[in-house]
Order: sequence, then structure tokens, then C-alpha cells
Amino acid sequence: MNARKLFAIVRREFSAYFASPLGYILLFAYYLIGGYFFWLIVSRTRAATMSYIFQNLTFIFLFTSPLITMRLWSEEEKNGTAELLKTSPLTLWEIVVGKYLGACSFFLVMSAGTLVYLVFILSLGNPDLLPLLSNYLGYFLAVMAFFAIGLFASTISENQIVAAIISFGVLLILWVIGVAGESAGGNLGDFLKYVSILSHTDDFYKGVIDLSHVFYLLSLIFMGLFFSVKVLESKRS
Amino acid sequence: MIEVKDLTKTYGNLAAIDKISFSVPKGTILGLLGPNGAGKTTTMRILTTSLAPTSGKATVAGFDVVTAPQEVRKHIGYLPEVPPIYNEMSVISYLRFVADIKEVPESKKANRVGEVLEMLDLGKMSLRLIGHLSLGFRQRVGLAQALIHDPDVLILDEPTRGLDPKQILEIRKLIKSLSGQRTIILSTHILPEVSSTCDDVIIVDQGKIVAADSVENLSQRLAGGKILDLEIKGSADEIGKALEKIDGVAAVKPLGRESRGVSRFEVSTDGSLETREELFNCVVKNKWVLYQLSPVGVSLEDVFLKLTTKDTAL
Repeated sequence: MNARKLFAIVRREFSAYFASPLGYILLFAYYLIGGYFFWLIVSRTRAATMSYIFQNLTFIFLFTSPLITMRLWSEEEKNGTAELLKTSPLTLWEIVVGKYLGACSFFLVMSAGTLVYLVFILSLGNPDLLPLLSNYLGYFLAVMAFFAIGLFASTISENQIVAAIISFGVLLILWVIGVAGESAGGNLGDFLKYVSILSHTDDFYKGVIDLSHVFYLLSLIFMGLFFSVKVLESKRS
Repeated sequence: MIEVKDLTKTYGNLAAIDKISFSVPKGTILGLLGPNGAGKTTTMRILTTSLAPTSGKATVAGFDVVTAPQEVRKHIGYLPEVPPIYNEMSVISYLRFVADIKEVPESKKANRVGEVLEMLDLGKMSLRLIGHLSLGFRQRVGLAQALIHDPDVLILDEPTRGLDPKQILEIRKLIKSLSGQRTIILSTHILPEVSSTCDDVIIVDQGKIVAADSVENLSQRLAGGKILDLEIKGSADEIGKALEKIDGVAAVKPLGRESRGVSRFEVSTDGSLETREELFNCVVKNKWVLYQLSPVGVSLEDVFLKLTTKDTAL
């Protein structure tokens, strides 16, 4: 992977979010809702912890990440710019990873809001630092996994709305499948619980970093990117 | 520079292109001519590595499009049917982006972007958003993108699509000026485009090549100067009768009366120079006045229609 070419794609992708009202609307809505939740949680619990807010933010991304990722490839197909990327000396991995990191950069900007919460928590309370780190890690990995799935959905359809619906559907299934696992019981139940995202994010929010959860979320990310590359590859033939 | 051998692309049972073979020597402008859906875009997409062929072989600048796509991509500039532009970017930031992904050396990037802007007369537009530009300017930005890495081969899919007549002339002039060192393939279904821009022409229809030759040869082979256009001052009836009697004249078709008693005729002949002399002598003998005697070349349009509407062997 060539750093210059990769960075060019990341930068273009990132700035594309600020070229349409959607990016600003998402940012505004996210800061507003996040801030409201933070105020609500802190004023009720009076606890110097960020785990609840991160749980809520992750949940918000379940609904909003399809809106952020739907355009990633669908738009290129629709505008005909896919042709430019495919006929430039770029590998499909450079394209896919570049786009993914571009979307993740936008996520970083969205998450900058949480630094404000952090400042409040640190100045008003006396929280343990390690659980905070664990909270952040879980939140980042979970949302980045959402994004990888959304990118994959976007490679499937030229229509952004369809892409958003697909990624939301997949995320929702991965989210609630654990509940089905609870009632199913047995090996199947264990399997379903293992597949569920929820069962892999809870520990992070309790302040525990379990490498198996890290592995699960990283695998989701890798699979999302891998299958995106495969879909683009299949479009050539 | 470009070699294509038995190239085939099928979608299910449908062959978009069927065993197409041709080669384009360095410095040539080749016109790919054909009705919509003939396989022009498919051929171009394979040559630009955007699409993989079902079978057959294609090389660009010596590199195989299937086994060495990255090398091919470095040597081609491609303008697809729809210019691949980002509406939300300014012209200059778009070209910088393309320069990055097309490996224009960082040290030459600023220069090269400037050169291309100037070449396409986009200087004044460089800070405008592409989405706010007119169709003609967008097409130019599309061309600028194809030229930014100074490729040996240019592949242009209907480069004048959607432009007004003045812009069409400008783009054609530009394409002409780009040839020389570069090898260019352009597709079109507009015939004058080929005769005014290209050296060679390939006519494709339903995925097959129906004719391939130089533009001049192609129209000559069909017509061969057998049809003459005459303008003579005198009585149209008398002239018509007299001309028909000449040996070597197959048919005389009156084309109506021009001003000042001048009549026009389309005369089909055997093509010999003697017949032309006889025509002239006949006019002199009858004391008519000859205003014009000129061979009519069959236009590319005739060739095109003839080839793509029925199987006429050339």
C-alpha cells in the first residue's frame, strides 16, 4: 500500500463529508443528542463514569452509521467516478482502506465531542483512568466495525438508500441475535451469543479489556474490508 | 501500441463483443464507430482494465490488461462516457487528487496541474466547484484528468457527447493537437467526428468489427468517384436526354433547377476519365455552359449505414 495514494483517498473521502449538508447535520445532531444524554446520565447517576454515555453513543451509531457509510462506494458508482478509481494505478485494497479510513476520520471528528464530557468527568469527579481507556477502546472498535459493515453494504448497491438499509439490517441482526441466543440455549445459543456485537462490547463498558472481544471486533472490521474488496473484484468480471 | 486479439466479453449468453482483433500503431488516432450498444464502451473498459475480458488478449504499451493491469493503468488516460468528476471539489483540488492517485511525482505535481489547466483553458475556472461548471467545462475537466500523468495512450469514450457545436469543434481540435506522440482511441456514433479527427476507423456493430481501414480508403472503396455532380446552364430536359446518350453514363438524375437557368444533375458513370471528357464535350457541343463537374465521394455516413443495416461485404 502506497502511503501517498492512500492518504489522497482518505483526504478526499473525509472532505466529501463536509461538502454536503448531511455531514454537518450528522455532526450537529450527534453533538446535541450526545450532550443531552451526558447531562441526563450525569445528573441522574452522579457517577464519574463514562460507560453509560459510551453505551448510548454506540447505540446511536447503530442507526447513524449506515447514513455515514452508505455513500462510500454507491456514490462512486452512481457518479461514474468509480471508473476513475478502478483505472488509476490503485489496488482495490488501497481504495477500500482509503475510503474506510476517510469515514473513520469523520467518526473521529464526531467523537471529539466526547472530550468535553471527559473534561467534565475529570474535573468534577475522580474516576479511574483504566476503565475510561477501556470505554474508549470498546466504543472505537464497535463503531469501526459498524463502519466496515456499512462500507461492505455500500459496495453491494449503487443506491445509497438500499446500501443504508442493508447495513442497518445487518447491524440490527448482529445486535439482537444475542437475545435469540439467550432463548435458544445449547450450542446454538452459545454460537448466536458469540456472534452478537452486544456480548462483545459489554465488558469494555464495564471497564474490562478482554482480548477475545478485541479479536472479535477486529475480525468484523477485517471481514467488512475483505468482502468489500471481493465485491469490487467481482465487478470487474 | 495497442494490440487486441480475439477479444470477447460475454454476459450470460449475450456477447457484448465477439472476437474483436485490431491494432493501433503509435501516434495514430483510431475512431471506434458504431451504433449505441455495439460494444464500443465494453472494448474501452477492457482496454482500461476496468472490466476483465471473457477470453482473448489485449495489450497496451506492451502490458497485458489482465496480467499487468497496474502497468497498463500507468500508461493510459481514460475519459469514460460520463466524466469521472466529483461535483463537490474545485477543479484544482480535483486535479491534485488525480495527480496523487496517478503517481505524478510530488515535485512535478504543481507544474503538471498548471500545464493541464492551461492546455484545456481551465485556468479561470480552477477555483470553481466542478458541480457549478457547464457541461462543456466538465468535459474538459474530464479530459484534464485523463492527461494529468502525461499518458502514452488516451482512451476517450464519446468525448464530444452533450457538447454544443462550438465546444465540439474545440474538443476535436484539442484531440488533434494531443496526437503526435500519443496514441488515441476515441469512440463515437457521430460520423463527422471520425472523418474530421481520426486517421483510422473501425466500425463495430453487434460486437463485431464490420470494417477497419483508414478513413479515406473506406469512403473511396465504396464510391470510387463514380458519381458526378454536374451543374449546367441550359434546358434541363434537353441536357438530361443528351447526357444519357453518352457511353459510360448509367443514369442521370436531375436534382432540380438552381438560379439563372442552371440545372443540377447527379450522373452515375463507369468511373473512367473518358466519360468525364465526353460529358464535357457534350456540353460544349450543345453550347451550354458548364458550372460544375465534380466527383461525389460517398460519405462515411453512407458506409456506416450500409455496413450496420445489412451485411454488405466490403
